[in-house]
Amino acid sequence: MPLIGSFCLLFALVLSAYCFVVGIWALASGHPVASRLGETARRAGMATFIAVAVSALALVWAALNNDFSLAYILHHTNRDLPTAYKLAALWSGQEGSLLFWALLLSAYGFVLRLRYKVDPRLTAYASVVLAGIQVFFLALVNFGGNPFGVMDTVRADGLGLNPLLQYPEMVIHPPMLYLGYVGMSVPFAFGLAALIMKYPGEKWIHITRRWTMVAWLFLTCGIILGGHWAYGVLGWGGYWGWDPVEIASFLPWISATAFLHSVMMQEKRGMMKKWNVWLIFITFLLSIFGTLLTRSGLVQSVHAFAQSNIGVWFYIFLAVCFVVCGFFFIKNYSHLKSENTLDSLVSRESSFLLNNVVLLFACIAFLCGTLFPILTEFVKGYKISVGPPYFNALAVPIGLFLLFLTGVGPLLAWRMTSFASIRRNFAAPAVFAVVVAIVLIALGLRPWALGATGPFLHWDYLPSWLTRTLKPLAWVDSDYSFTLTALTLAAFVIGIIALEFYRGGRVLQHKLGTNLFGAMYWLTRRNTRRYGGYIVHFGVVVIMVGLAGATFNKDKEQEMGLGSKMQIGNYELIGQKYTEDDLPNYESQAAILDVYQHGKFLSTLYPALVVYKASQQPDHKVAIRSTLKEDLYVVYEGKNPDTDQPIIKAIVNPLVSWLWIGWLITVFGTLVALVPNAAQLKSPVSMPSLIQARPGERAFEPVGAAK
Amino acid sequence: MKRILLALVLCSSLVAIAADDDRYSDLGNKIQCSCGCGQILIKCNHVGCPSSDAMIRQLRTALNNYSNDEDVLNWFRRSYGMTIVVAPSTHGFELTIWILPIVLAAVGLLLLFLVTRRWRSEAAPVGVVQIDPKLEELRKRARKETEL
Repeated sequence: MPLIGSFCLLFALVLSAYCFVVGIWALASGHPVASRLGETARRAGMATFIAVAVSALALVWAALNNDFSLAYILHHTNRDLPTAYKLAALWSGQEGSLLFWALLLSAYGFVLRLRYKVDPRLTAYASVVLAGIQVFFLALVNFGGNPFGVMDTVRADGLGLNPLLQYPEMVIHPPMLYLGYVGMSVPFAFGLAALIMKYPGEKWIHITRRWTMVAWLFLTCGIILGGHWAYGVLGWGGYWGWDPVEIASFLPWISATAFLHSVMMQEKRGMMKKWNVWLIFITFLLSIFGTLLTRSGLVQSVHAFAQSNIGVWFYIFLAVCFVVCGFFFIKNYSHLKSENTLDSLVSRESSFLLNNVVLLFACIAFLCGTLFPILTEFVKGYKISVGPPYFNALAVPIGLFLLFLTGVGPLLAWRMTSFASIRRNFAAPAVFAVVVAIVLIALGLRPWALGATGPFLHWDYLPSWLTRTLKPLAWVDSDYSFTLTALTLAAFVIGIIALEFYRGGRVLQHKLGTNLFGAMYWLTRRNTRRYGGYIVHFGVVVIMVGLAGATFNKDKEQEMGLGSKMQIGNYELIGQKYTEDDLPNYESQAAILDVYQHGKFLSTLYPALVVYKASQQPDHKVAIRSTLKEDLYVVYEGKNPDTDQPIIKAIVNPLVSWLWIGWLITVFGTLVALVPNAAQLKSPVSMPSLIQARPGERAFEPVGAAK
Repeated sequence: MKRILLALVLCSSLVAIAADDDRYSDLGNKIQCSCGCGQILIKCNHVGCPSSDAMIRQLRTALNNYSNDEDVLNWFRRSYGMTIVVAPSTHGFELTIWILPIVLAAVGLLLLFLVTRRWRSEAAPVGVVQIDPKLEELRKRARKETEL
């Protein structure tokens, strides 16, 4: 079976190379057989998927059958590894994950080529671009990191999977992330294809919108699942640590988010074409860059589970992609001329523009922070670390500003918004936000009284007289201030979204003669994109509320013998029992702790410490009692060697559940936005065409049809 | 009198402890554990960590020895190397990373200003259009019916 896998990998490379070379020839040549050859290239591209799928199946088969003659299987599995994790071995190591990337890319390519009738010529161009990417990854898998490498001697058992990866979410987190990363190749392929062939109109955006949204959805799921995995596995009570690899996954997400917004300006008004083309190029390049960071060891990261010298492959590929994009951008620059201009500074266009500038600013600033250690090493000769203090100082104000735009943007009209319209749309949500702020202050969230300071005001670098003057304002940039602002803005945006649904629902209610909720349902069905977008925005707001809760985290650590008590927040933990267990895959020590609140029994928690036999690596099994208000997060840290007493760490994380709920809402909203409108269920996407003018009249051109 | 003095001493020591806790939390969040786990020092809790306990003790000692926060961080830099501190310094070359976002934001805003100015100058001037009373009536009715 490994032989078949290895052969199929090579065969897939040949097929994709054929698809790439013959595809280019067929598109460039005016020869009579060009179209028939182009068809063979399309079919070769589809066959690539079958060849890569067989190869991936061969590797999975080897993992399931404990074929330790393969170095990859030996290093990432063992006999007692549960079956689900053996399947996950496909993406647990470097060679396997590259094969997995190639598999997903070929699967996306298969669907794209299968649906070629949507626009045969554009799809042919996009197919060639995808084939070019595929050639790179298949060459890399075949010659840079082949997962079918054979051992000289066969060992009886494998070395096992990294314990950090033995967690249910690890079975789905990397595939989601990869689906997102790889999925960005499709809009990139369409974008580059449209630029190369000077595609008239914006139909390519209609075609790629769903692809982009699907890739964005997968990337969102991958990032959040990664956060959830870190929360449940790493045992430090957090979900985001600004690790370089985490940032690497976040960067394409930011640029894709910017693209999804700015592309609306191109669709509606034929504006920002150059910007959009580069946004999609950058998104793709950043997704490749993310893989480079994960796999090359360019920066230190706890996520870099596999490192090697394949970085040079990625540098070359990134450079080639950049040059190709730049070349066609310059060559066809005139094709990207905007068809309209900004009519007013207070308009939907300007809000999108601002949104894009802020998102791109965040993207560049985070990228600079990630790469700054390398720059410092180059300039000063030593490496430094850039971690949470820097990224949080940037992310918080950016996040708050974007939250504000989330509320304001959708209610501004295209072209121009009158003051009366602003007053009409924003008055009620603004009043609601002020009421929420007053309630929060009344409940005790008074930043000025809580005595904390934040990251921006570095007093010791200011003149002493200014320091003295400004000292009373030190609370302004504290976490409490940001939390109060975030919750107030969240209320504002929720108010706006609710008002939008309510108003639209009321109008339909009268028309349809149904109740308000039924009307809201039909409202959403009739314009899934708009109202799905509102649901996504609502999900993002809920996520922000979850993030804001981190300000109030509490933690405590103490030795706890039998009957010992720990008080944290409103909770009281009592040590009931300590046990040990021996299972085929690991040995474990666990604590049995009863949890009480105000003297009332709540539940029993079982935090554990496990040691995996194959790798002899220890790992936490965190116990979490989750409520909408807060999580009680308990870690069994092991025994104190001096006293032989178990050490328990407990953390109270307020509002963290809202983070996961917000994610589910975001997923739901994106799915809603992907569904076709109820009224347009049967209307296919049509090629933009010139509307015939009557004699004496000027022909009307659809937006985007200008050359 | 003795009680008042005792209360004052107690209060001032409580204030000092609170200030020390703030410094401990602030600086502890700027230092990473040296064992290679990549976690922030005061959050590092992985089993059998050979470094974090000793480093936390060193942090406490350094807080007592140095009144300036930068001196505490410099002590850690000298002892463990430059990468131990995860908050870039606000001196020398490392200041660049703090200034860069400000420069980027300024450039972004400048570009935004230039782009919007260019767009607006390119926009065809819109003449004052006489509002058709019938059309305005219809618009009012539409607004009323849609409550917008």
